[in-house]
Amino acid sequence: MLQRFLDPATLNSIAGLDLIAKTVVDGFVAGLHRSPDFGLSQEFAEYRAYTQGDDLRHVDWNVFARTDRCYLKRYRGETNTQLLVLLDTSASMGYGSHSVNKLDYSRFLAASLCYLAHVQRDAAGLIVFDQDVTNYIAPSTRQGQLFRLLHAIERAETGTRTDFTRPFVHFQNFLRRRGMVVVISDFYEDPALIVKTVEPLRFRGNEVILFHLLDPQEIAPRFREPVLLVDMENAGATLEVSPEYARHEYRAKIDAHIEALRSQALGAGMDYFLVDTGRPLDEGLREYLSVRRGML
Amino acid sequence: MGFLSPWFLAGLAAVGLPIWLHLLRKHKAQPVPFSSLMFFERRTQSSIKHRRLRYLILLALRMLLLGLLALAFAHPYLERKLLPQSRAGEVTVFAIDNSLSMRAGGLLERAKQMAKSEVAALRPGRRAQVIEFGSRVHALSEVTDDRAALDAAADAVEASDDRTSFAELSRWLRSIAQSLRLPVRVLLYSDMQQSGMPANFNDLRLNSDIRLEPHPLAAQATPNFTVENVIAPRRVYSGAKTRVLATVAGFGTAKTVRTVSLMLNGRLIESKPVAIPESGRAAVEFQSLDVPYGRNQGAVKIDAGDALAADDAFYFSVERADPRHALFVHDPGNARDLLYFRTALEASGQSAFAIDAAGTDQTANVAPSQYAFVVISDVGAVPESFERSLRDYVRGGGSVLIALGRSSMGRSRVPVADLAIQGTRYAGREGDLFQSAAALDASHPSIQQNNRWDDVKFFQAVRVDPGSARVVARLTDDTPLVIDAPLGAGHILIFASTLDNVANDFPVHASFVPFVAQTAGYLGHLDAGPPAVTVGSFEELRDPRQKGAAVDVLDPKGERVFSLAEAAAAQNLQFTMEGFYDIHRPNGRNELVAVNADRRESDLTPAAPETLRLWQNTASGISADGPGEGGRTAVSLWWYVMLAVLACVIAESLLGNRHLSVDKEAP
Repeated sequence: MLQRFLDPATLNSIAGLDLIAKTVVDGFVAGLHRSPDFGLSQEFAEYRAYTQGDDLRHVDWNVFARTDRCYLKRYRGETNTQLLVLLDTSASMGYGSHSVNKLDYSRFLAASLCYLAHVQRDAAGLIVFDQDVTNYIAPSTRQGQLFRLLHAIERAETGTRTDFTRPFVHFQNFLRRRGMVVVISDFYEDPALIVKTVEPLRFRGNEVILFHLLDPQEIAPRFREPVLLVDMENAGATLEVSPEYARHEYRAKIDAHIEALRSQALGAGMDYFLVDTGRPLDEGLREYLSVRRGML
Repeated sequence: MGFLSPWFLAGLAAVGLPIWLHLLRKHKAQPVPFSSLMFFERRTQSSIKHRRLRYLILLALRMLLLGLLALAFAHPYLERKLLPQSRAGEVTVFAIDNSLSMRAGGLLERAKQMAKSEVAALRPGRRAQVIEFGSRVHALSEVTDDRAALDAAADAVEASDDRTSFAELSRWLRSIAQSLRLPVRVLLYSDMQQSGMPANFNDLRLNSDIRLEPHPLAAQATPNFTVENVIAPRRVYSGAKTRVLATVAGFGTAKTVRTVSLMLNGRLIESKPVAIPESGRAAVEFQSLDVPYGRNQGAVKIDAGDALAADDAFYFSVERADPRHALFVHDPGNARDLLYFRTALEASGQSAFAIDAAGTDQTANVAPSQYAFVVISDVGAVPESFERSLRDYVRGGGSVLIALGRSSMGRSRVPVADLAIQGTRYAGREGDLFQSAAALDASHPSIQQNNRWDDVKFFQAVRVDPGSARVVARLTDDTPLVIDAPLGAGHILIFASTLDNVANDFPVHASFVPFVAQTAGYLGHLDAGPPAVTVGSFEELRDPRQKGAAVDVLDPKGERVFSLAEAAAAQNLQFTMEGFYDIHRPNGRNELVAVNADRRESDLTPAAPETLRLWQNTASGISADGPGEGGRTAVSLWWYVMLAVLACVIAESLLGNRHLSVDKEAP
């Protein structure tokens, strides 16, 4: 049941992003087993000996009455965080070898993350970019924030080519508070440059998750015969490719690219997750929650 | 190198198909949008070129395959000159045509001279043989290197009246080549008549080690007239003028008028001018032949004045004899059967028999042996002495016709034949009103030429148990109507109804006349053979039971054909020359047989050179155009080409499977 709702092709048939997000997240949450990391609020954490200067309101008087010692009762406080989704809408995101292209998939993923954050009372924001920032919604928990986000995600269209440098430099200025930054892109760029561009976010104390969206045909292309490939980000660039090359040399290159991006991202303290757009969305959400757990 | 079917080489155009498939079709790569070409490099092109390079091997294989297929259909062969030693021990056969047509213009003499000059030109030690052939082949010498013997054999070739049969010559050559197991070179001297060629060309085929060298003696058709056929009675039994119809023909002749004469025993009877159309035929009718008693030699001649005189006369024999008597035994109170039988016999034009009628009471002292046959027409009781003498007569070769009717109903057995009478079948008011004849055995001489008895009604028939006798006709209720019962050397023919029109209406039907005529001829052993036969045909000389008695045959030259030993044993005789054969049979019958040459010999049109070349080519492996010492052999390359095709198919399959395997998971 869960898998059926999380299947990209099924989601693609649902009209509204809000319904998609709810379908994904509610279905996903309902499928989870009891989690200690979920629904935390006023929860006991530890006892600590009283020291001078501590607030007397936190002294556990019951313990003091029994033991004649002052102990402070510590609770795990409300740790609401901030989620900022960076959605790449470059032309290459419009590629899809099946019914759901990468941009659609990234929409579903972004909407689901925003909804999940909304459910958890986290402030969620969105930056849509290609070679420049095309839309920015500041993180907030205000009423109607979710719908603003979903609307912005809905309106996201494929733009021109990807350029990480300019938009990242630009939106670093908007970030005031620490939180989680989720970058959804196909990362057709040099891994070193990507990490170098995204790294400053990490330095500011943000948890950075890179969702690397790739179509199955991009991961393992299969052609019956030689094809003339046209670059979607540069229409003038064409190249005739043989099936043998695509089957062997290209796969080696893309695997090396993925591995380089993964290792360099992890090396920079970022989380990296490769998302196959042919697979269900729950794997992406699970990745988000595992990071989110560390924030609690 | 040559090709038996060069038109199939047009199939080489199909080689263009894989070129199109590989070099043109493969270049049209479909543009496909892709997210980024970041991981594709320019050197991808070289990969495609490499791929194409590999495909070029496949292309070459496919082109080779198609080319080889076209080549295989074209049936290639290699001409290879035979080494002289490969025909070592070659035997030369001088085949001289001595058929009737070789008499024209001294062709036979020329053929003999040419053969002798070739004999003289033979290298020392070369073995040769001389044969003559017409419809049969006769070896005139052994296979020898003695030139004198070969010369003598060539001189011994005599003109015959036989007809040419190249099929028989080919058969003999195949046989001799097989038995000698040596290469045979055949020098053929003939006028190469087209009419000598067989209907089936396959009959001319020669073995591969036979080299045929025809020497046509006649380059073009020689005009020739002939008397093609004569229609005349073999025997006449009255003094009336006899009609003779002759057909004269011209082969390669212009329209002309010729005189045709009828001769009898060397005496001119009548001559008529006849207009013969160009290369056509004309019929001549003579009504004036008055045949004297005895065996007479007739001939129809044409004053042809052509090169071949041997076919200008057509011989026929005609015999004049008194009619033979036949005894008709009937009930004195009933003369209708006699009336119908005699009338039918006379109406048929059959004057060979004269009917002598007798009542049953007059037969006691009659000797049946003086009659050609005896008819017993529905008589009650036959005097025992007459019945006994009839049995002896039949056993000795005589014949009896017995008609059964009302008078036979009281008897339990058929007289003479001794077959049981089972009862009588009547067609009455109940059931069928009449019976019809069904199941006629058309092979029996009595009804051979007229087996349409459909409308004859039989009201009464006597049912006879045929036993082992031959049932010639049955009625619709399966009652035997005509039974032929052999007895000794003779026959008893039983007609299970009457010969008057009481028990049936047969006598008033047209089919009655031929039945009576044929039955009389059959029972009276009337020989109605043709007035003439052709050279090469056979004549039966004696009954197989007549052993020991000599048969005397004189040929047209008046010489005895058989030695004494042969005369006592010879069963048949083959006529070998034109003219009249006088045959004295053991049973005392003498016969004059007129023999004429086969008129196909009269057509002197030679066979086309292409036909001769084809004949030479039937010796597979021997080129028709290679009369040199070593000769040329054609080695078929078909099998080699097909093996190459097979190898190509396997290689193409392997390479194609490796290069062009379709990735099933690809979109």
